[in-house]
Amino acid sequence: MRLPSVSLPLALVALTVTAVATIAQAAPAGIGRDGTIAARKGKARTIAELAAMYDSSSCVECHQEAHDQWAASPHARPVFGTGRTAATFRTAVLNGLMAWPYSGVKGPKDVKVEHLMGCAKCHLPQLADATDAVASELAQSIFAWADAVQAGEDAKRAKEEKKLLSLGITCLVCHNRNAIVHKWTDGYPQAGVVYGSKAGAHDSPGFPKMAVSPVMHESILCGQCHGLGPNLELDNPTQCGTGYGSYLWAYRAEGGRETCQDCHMRKSGLGHKILSYSDPAMIKAAVDFEADAQGMYWRDGTRVSARAVVRIAMTNRSGHSIPDG
Amino acid sequence: MPVPQQFGRGDRMGRGPYEKSGIIEDNGLPPNKRVEERFDIPYPMEEVDGTRRPTTYDMDVEVKLWYLPFGTMESSPHLWREFKRTVSVSRGGK
Repeated sequence: MRLPSVSLPLALVALTVTAVATIAQAAPAGIGRDGTIAARKGKARTIAELAAMYDSSSCVECHQEAHDQWAASPHARPVFGTGRTAATFRTAVLNGLMAWPYSGVKGPKDVKVEHLMGCAKCHLPQLADATDAVASELAQSIFAWADAVQAGEDAKRAKEEKKLLSLGITCLVCHNRNAIVHKWTDGYPQAGVVYGSKAGAHDSPGFPKMAVSPVMHESILCGQCHGLGPNLELDNPTQCGTGYGSYLWAYRAEGGRETCQDCHMRKSGLGHKILSYSDPAMIKAAVDFEADAQGMYWRDGTRVSARAVVRIAMTNRSGHSIPDG
Repeated sequence: MPVPQQFGRGDRMGRGPYEKSGIIEDNGLPPNKRVEERFDIPYPMEEVDGTRRPTTYDMDVEVKLWYLPFGTMESSPHLWREFKRTVSVSRGGK
């Protein structure tokens, strides 16, 4: 009669210990995750390490044209983007994180990876492969850059710009890290592999293999960054890019059939330059524009007035609302 | 543009992208839909000998379609389309 009262607590203790052990040993789900660039190299601890993790400078040896196109695109300078991005990173910290009572951020030093992912999901997706020290370094560098700009300190500004410009949406971000969206279906992107439209050997010591990305020519590749709307998985959801959401619900759902790459790369002839509102070919293709004007007299009883009547018709021929991005 | 709703609540537009979590409205051009605008521009009128008439009979009309990436003409505006015409009204008649 006394044995059950003794064995029950023991069983509970044993169960508890087992659960703790299971949690401690839990690995992220998915087979092949340990073969990714980030898993092989380990999380970056500095901006320099993060830049090195996805360094694509060796690609230029064989892919000069694609490199030159990319170098002229905002993808080559995502922290600065189309001109205001670095300043907006700063205000996101200053007016957002530092002002919100529960963020835990008192200054740029306190910034962690998760604080920046609302910005970095598009502007630096590989920040997810870095430690919080990199997020802090990035925030401090942006603040230092902005201070230098305001103070007219050119040397300090150039130093910080060089550091911030070392971070890009490089070849490896699209052709490796983000080349596979459905990782449980298609496998995790593996270190040493360049993903594109072909499979086979690749003449590069660091990347000796080519493999087919199932989404390289699909809009979802771009949609990973040019997003749907607020990222509700974040503790403080936000996202400025809503282009893919507009593409899905206002364009594809209404019968549109072209992809992001069709317009922004192939038809425009932009290739890896991938521009939008500032490029003449994109501007020409974006909108049908008709205008007409005539003069007339309007009569309101005995009162006559002359007016010009101007009629304008516009049809957006892009795959998303204009403006959007 | 998709006008961002501040923190996904209420009627205020978010200040920066870090506050964007909803859309109040989208005043952009929707894809593949014709959008028409009409503007009536009055001529300046004057009264001469008891008759109202335009101070000028010709008006230069300019229509410009601008893309404003940051919402103002002060910051990197891009001129996308331009239309110019001189509109005239008749000089006679009652």
